[in-house]
Amino acid sequence: MTNTNILTVENLNVRYGDFQAVKDVSFDVRKGEIFGLLGPNGAGKTSTLSAIEGLLKPQSGTVIVDGHNAREKPLHVRASLGVQLQSTSFQAELYVIEVLQLYAGVYGLSLSKNDIRAILREINLEDQAQKKFGELSGGQQQRVSLVIATIHNPRLVLLDEPTTGLDPQSRRQLWERIEAIRDRGHAILLTTHSMEEAESVCDRIAIIDHGKIIEIDTPQAIIDRHKNEPEVIAVSRRGKITLEDVFIALTGKEIRQ
Amino acid sequence: METIIPKTSVVLSSLLKADFTTQWRNRRAVILTLVVPVIILMTWKGMIGAFGGPFVLSNSITIGLFASGLMGYANTVARDRDKGIFQRLRVAPVPSWAIMISRLMVQLAMIFLITTAVFIIGYNYDGITLTPSAYIITYFTAILGGSVSLSLGQMIVGYIKNPETVNSTTRLVYLAFILVGMLGELYLKQLGEVWVNVVKLSPYGAVKTILSAGMEPAKWNADTTAALLVTIGYTIVFTFLGIKWFKWNTK
Repeated sequence: MTNTNILTVENLNVRYGDFQAVKDVSFDVRKGEIFGLLGPNGAGKTSTLSAIEGLLKPQSGTVIVDGHNAREKPLHVRASLGVQLQSTSFQAELYVIEVLQLYAGVYGLSLSKNDIRAILREINLEDQAQKKFGELSGGQQQRVSLVIATIHNPRLVLLDEPTTGLDPQSRRQLWERIEAIRDRGHAILLTTHSMEEAESVCDRIAIIDHGKIIEIDTPQAIIDRHKNEPEVIAVSRRGKITLEDVFIALTGKEIRQ
Repeated sequence: METIIPKTSVVLSSLLKADFTTQWRNRRAVILTLVVPVIILMTWKGMIGAFGGPFVLSNSITIGLFASGLMGYANTVARDRDKGIFQRLRVAPVPSWAIMISRLMVQLAMIFLITTAVFIIGYNYDGITLTPSAYIITYFTAILGGSVSLSLGQMIVGYIKNPETVNSTTRLVYLAFILVGMLGELYLKQLGEVWVNVVKLSPYGAVKTILSAGMEPAKWNADTTAALLVTIGYTIVFTFLGIKWFKWNTK
């Protein structure tokens, strides 16, 4: 892994009316790295991602993607990003092959039907090419969403809770695909609620709560740093300290809306 | 590695292809849009002698335009926004205006389709003919009339986020326009001049007036010019509010 930053976020602040969703958030994502953003519901994960994607205008702060400042060159930033939103849907009337053609076009690629069939073959969905997106299973939809997010070979891939609602087989398969994307030299920023996912696939993680980053490091380093704290030991359920124990101790046990 | 920004023409062509394909797959809804204008053309055949062919044609086109702009455009936008389709497009290097231009081009095609269908059925079933210049002028006035219905649809979908509420609201507004504009002109004259003016200057009435006058350019008068100005005024106000209130997502 090199130390080349593909994404740099500095002092990001996002506000909705009187509510400050993101407070002075700073982090970077390096080339060939899977970076996880963890936090309870409403912690500011999706707001941070939305600010990077350009879907909302931050109150202040800097977002630089592959050397492009998001305020100055928003189209360059979006062209450098591959995005899988939390609740993405595609035009219900279009066939899978047509959805891929649409997104190839909006990223400026000229792909023939054969090229697209080859892409679908890679994700074992060639036989679903003439089905509508809504007719696919959850796992198949996620595979299509992921392949669309990376169709233009972006430097940075943003995945907002990519495995939510998937069965263990589909989830495991998606992790392998995410790792394969990383191994091709992309940087990946994903948000997740799953500590298992964070430990299994993320090279580094940041824990965000109430809009602030409260920890940032490798999963193991964060566990090691907190494993002897009384609060962590108190919430531990199985004796061995896990990332989830540390997460619960740092963010609290109360249920968030 | 150099960042490639796709050409706007390539992006727009991909969006247009997808949007027209979507419209084609929704052809049942397109046919339903044409049902009421066709029913008017067929059932009002006996009124042609009393009110003239342009009266029947202009009412049919106006109904079709409002059905398409209100129930077609507004509901599609509400549904796609709710499903996150716009947000997915907006995280790609696509200018937001290109997304809406593509949608509006589909609606422009719908305006031409409705107008042409009414002309063809009007000619074949009712025997209504216009001069060549009247046909051409009517396409232009249909675009103006269509812009009122589209901007009204935009205003509704801007103000209301829930797609089911947008659906029911557009149906109510559509029904109200038919009652006030079409039936109002036929039956409310006995209520006095004020009501006649209200009906004439309602969105339905103003659009119907310019369409009707476009079919008989020689009869263009001060009332028609007033209706034209009112049509443009409605479009400006509805568009301004529609853009001001519109949010790309429902959260």
